[in-house]
Amino acid sequence: MAWMGAALFLAVAAAQAQWLAVTNAQARIASVEMGGPVLALDYELQDVEASADGPAWVFITARWPGRPDWEALPAAWLRGNGHGLITSPGKKRSYAWGLSEHGWPEKAPPEIRIRALRMRRIPGGVFDQLSLPGGGRDAAYGEVGQARLSTFWMSRHEITVGQYVDYLNEVGGSGAGWNPSMTNAIRCGIERGAGGAYAAMPGRANHPVTYVSWYDAQAFLAWCGLRLPTEAEWEKALRGGHFLDGDDTRRQANPMPKRPFPWGIEPPNEGGVHRCNYEGDADGFAQTASVGSFAKFDSPYGISDLVGNVAEWTLDWYTTSYHAQLDGFRMIRGGSCLDPAEACDAVSGSTRLPIKESGITGFRGVWAGPQPPNGR
Amino acid sequence: MAMVASQRVWGANDRVVFGFMGVGGRGSYLLQAFAKRSDVEVAYVCDVDTRRFANAREAVEEAQGRAPKTTQDFRRILEDKSVDVLVNATPDHWHALGTILACQAGKDVYVEKPLAHNPWEGRQMVAAARKYQRVVQVGTQSRSASYLREAAEAIRAGKLGEVQLVRVFNMMEHPRRKPGTTQPVPAGLDYGLWCGPAPLMPYDPGRRWLDQWEFSCGAIAGDAVHQLDLARYLIGDMPYPDTVVQAGGVNVLKDGREIPDTQIATFEYGKLTLVLDGALWAPYMKKTPMAVRDTDEMPNWPFNATRIEVLGTRGMMYYGRHGDGWQVFGPDAESAHTGVGRQSDAEHQDNFIACVKSRKQPTSDVEQGHYSTLLCHLANISYRVGNRKLAWDAKTESFRDAPDANAYLRRTYRAPWIVPETV
Repeated sequence: MAWMGAALFLAVAAAQAQWLAVTNAQARIASVEMGGPVLALDYELQDVEASADGPAWVFITARWPGRPDWEALPAAWLRGNGHGLITSPGKKRSYAWGLSEHGWPEKAPPEIRIRALRMRRIPGGVFDQLSLPGGGRDAAYGEVGQARLSTFWMSRHEITVGQYVDYLNEVGGSGAGWNPSMTNAIRCGIERGAGGAYAAMPGRANHPVTYVSWYDAQAFLAWCGLRLPTEAEWEKALRGGHFLDGDDTRRQANPMPKRPFPWGIEPPNEGGVHRCNYEGDADGFAQTASVGSFAKFDSPYGISDLVGNVAEWTLDWYTTSYHAQLDGFRMIRGGSCLDPAEACDAVSGSTRLPIKESGITGFRGVWAGPQPPNGR
Repeated sequence: MAMVASQRVWGANDRVVFGFMGVGGRGSYLLQAFAKRSDVEVAYVCDVDTRRFANAREAVEEAQGRAPKTTQDFRRILEDKSVDVLVNATPDHWHALGTILACQAGKDVYVEKPLAHNPWEGRQMVAAARKYQRVVQVGTQSRSASYLREAAEAIRAGKLGEVQLVRVFNMMEHPRRKPGTTQPVPAGLDYGLWCGPAPLMPYDPGRRWLDQWEFSCGAIAGDAVHQLDLARYLIGDMPYPDTVVQAGGVNVLKDGREIPDTQIATFEYGKLTLVLDGALWAPYMKKTPMAVRDTDEMPNWPFNATRIEVLGTRGMMYYGRHGDGWQVFGPDAESAHTGVGRQSDAEHQDNFIACVKSRKQPTSDVEQGHYSTLLCHLANISYRVGNRKLAWDAKTESFRDAPDANAYLRRTYRAPWIVPETV
């Protein structure tokens, strides 16, 4: 195998953007006797916490000589241990064949960017879904329904301003994905400078991104190779299945399978303890907080800020609206820093037209395998 | 136009101070529309469910740079002398008392349709508006469209000959509801206040208020009242029909609902007949698509779920509610005239603000809202007495010789939420 060239990875500032640290990334084009030139990608994942329960989600974009745009290297085109869910730190390598099939040059390697996002594993099995799917404000509080979901992975944190800025700087040259509301310094904080470069305002990079439409959220996640969670996925991630290790092994029974809050049954403000970022500043935050500020009160799977901070877009339609045919509302879950504590729970939801942005709504991503769920 | 008194002397640049009672689906829409206006200040957002506060508060902050006060009890708004207007976007059963109490407190009112839960309280709303000299505009915003006036003028000019028949369609597809169970009332919901004048029913979020008599005139009536209101305008705003008879019932969506999913109601105005074709099981009937609204394109009339047909001895008119426009066809089925239109939400809101300042009666004055909503009540009452034909006495606003039907003209109120005999 003869290496035809190499390009060094342009480091994505992990601390700023909350991507996990990746170092020593290189892209090379090698010639092989069978199958034509191959793109080889090498790097080190500096993520000592990577594990089966908390893997990194790695996605890769490339810019080829002579081509202006950054382009995704979809996971389905790659082979190796350096993309998708990665459960241990260290040296990684993935390959892409068939460069000419994608219209990519074969003589010189591209610049590459390798980004890694912390995920948490939600093992497959039954959980108590206590809200009406698509029911919005018609939540069936306390009504027991059971649903079974296959294993999926959810990002531990809400997508941050820093991550979104990084995305905008890669794909948003024409202004796509950005809107002027994002300059709101207390609710979001993204500036668009002269020349079109985006930047997080001081102190905002680790706050959740807001003023994203449902379509903006979907576009960001498609860039990552992820999608929005369904309401059922969101609720299970909060409450846990009947067995926290999943129905295949059934070793660890969920002590509170009907819990209304990620941490249990105590309301967010009970006993002078503040368990999430809800309305007012008693919890230390009048507006949004940096993601993970209430990590002590994560869900049973170690997922942060499912309730409070910003409410979160889901994939689901609001199905009981009799205007649904025309209006296509989408469901939002989780309550926000402007919601009273009682609204920051597993079943409260609201609805919004997917084209509408809000300063108190953000999102997070999931991966549940290469195929989206049926019917969505 | 009658003039009504104001507590304030309005300057041209003064902002009208609003409080919103109910910020669910429709209330949120109105909140966002009014909050964006430079001549409006939103001082209060009120909802019995605190879960509605965050989005409403954020919308107001976005629009006017300042957060409104939030409260679960609308009386806090009425007590505040600095508030000029109450927007009442509650379920049907709260329209009357919310409006009457606001009139008594010296507020002008924008109240959502259908105007009232029953005929008697609709009349009490009119009485309160007149007694306290309040501007009370009903949320039948399609009445503010200029193309409505053009179409009515065409009818008055004789383009249709003598109008004999008006057909109002409201045919939609509604889901069958999943039956629910009684639940504990969630924290943050003042369920007693939500029930208000209605009986304190067990809390069952699966039992939709829109489908139950305690709280509503029904999903058909709640939407058809727009077309009924427009149809009344087109034929000269006659207050009352002489008779009503309804056909239909809960025929398809047998999910525990009380209010019919099939509502074919015939009203006789002398020799003119008005027919409502209402249904909740007709998936082929569509509201005007968004891409057609507010354009010069005409709806696909046969499958238009909310069209109005006005049939005369020389021609017939299709009229569309959503900024659709209107078309007149002559004896050879060729279009004799086409009039385009646009939706009139902004005009309706403009008209309300202008009337608050000028003290003139608004386009959808409470009394016209009462007469239009009355048609819904009459159809419902005919159904409730066995789809029987009933004769209406305009002088007494009651049915002739039908004590069983007259029992539905008003409701029993739950203290302290009683619509007073004398407003």
